[in-house]
Amino acid sequence: MIRRTPLALCGGLTATLVLAVTGCSSSSDSSSSSGSSSSSGGTPRLKVSGGYMPKPVSDMAAGFLTVVNSGRSGDRLTSITSDISDDITIHKTENQTMRKVDSFDIPANGELDLDRGGNHIMFANLKKRPAQGQEVGIELHFEKADPIKVELPVKETNYNPATH
Amino acid sequence: MRKKTVTTVAALAVATALTLTACGSGDDSASKPIADVSASAKTQAATVLDQPFKKPDLVLTDTKGKPYDFREATQGKPTLVYFGYTNCPDVCPLTMSNIAIAMKSLSAADREKLQVVFVTTDPERDTSAELAKWLPSAGDPSFIGLTGDFPTIQAGARQLGIGIDAPKKEKDGTVTSMHGTQVIAFSPKTDAGYVLYGEDATADDYAKDLPKIIKGENP
Repeated sequence: MIRRTPLALCGGLTATLVLAVTGCSSSSDSSSSSGSSSSSGGTPRLKVSGGYMPKPVSDMAAGFLTVVNSGRSGDRLTSITSDISDDITIHKTENQTMRKVDSFDIPANGELDLDRGGNHIMFANLKKRPAQGQEVGIELHFEKADPIKVELPVKETNYNPATH
Repeated sequence: MRKKTVTTVAALAVATALTLTACGSGDDSASKPIADVSASAKTQAATVLDQPFKKPDLVLTDTKGKPYDFREATQGKPTLVYFGYTNCPDVCPLTMSNIAIAMKSLSAADREKLQVVFVTTDPERDTSAELAKWLPSAGDPSFIGLTGDFPTIQAGARQLGIGIDAPKKEKDGTVTSMHGTQVIAFSPKTDAGYVLYGEDATADDYAKDLPKIIKGENP
């Protein structure tokens, strides 16, 4: 689902905000959270933050985000679904080669970071090309926890919170 | 090593470039303390090589389907070379976009001089037409896209110390391709590849260094 968002989203302020959010992973931002919050014992407790999609330049796009697990049990990110593409895979990057993986580990009391130049979500055969400032809704699926829906703001093609 | 004054100028340049790239409202980056900016500029993006690379002997096909002799076409011109592929969602468009954004801060004369060459590592899928479509979108319409036989491309990359493997068809039908890690800058004075940029190099890094590279100076 692509939603048009206010123009202000594109401003430097938002960029800084995202930076701050990804910068400190255990921050208490509540915007895009909730996983399985049943019991804190042996279950993963997942929170997704700092997501974004660089503006695609073809019918292919990448997505990046952080999944923090504050639970005592590990989990795995197994797939992503979205209205924008029926061909979404998760990739790791090693030796300048992208390789599709079946899942990514989200350790207990740890996090999974998808960053530019590294692990990422790949959207192929985009049904439409989102413009900068729009948002792309995705749903993350896990081995144990309930799915989590997040909106990825579409940033400039060369956006990288690590260097901006 | 830089002298202090030069560093300050560089930091200012970075600050300016930052303001330019921060889409729309510049207030935020302008109000950031300069100290922050110079801290991020401390990680030098460019590596100046002690032993520069000779220009590879590389004759391929450009986006118009015409033969392109890399040595001949770029002789005496400041040139950036990158090996990548268009079915690459992350690093390849990131690299092209960074260079394209940096180029916008150059004078028209400098922009005219600079040759940006993208050599595909996946020639089977990246035809001239495909490159012609992708490059203006990922980078800039002025970028030169080259395709051809994989062994020729691989040999050219090897002459620049870049190892690339042929794209591999996986069991599930997907193709695994490789991209180079570095952008190599060639001097207009010596025609040698004398500066390397890793994939961490930002648009600001390029914006800061390109005017020097265009003169054949060390960034």
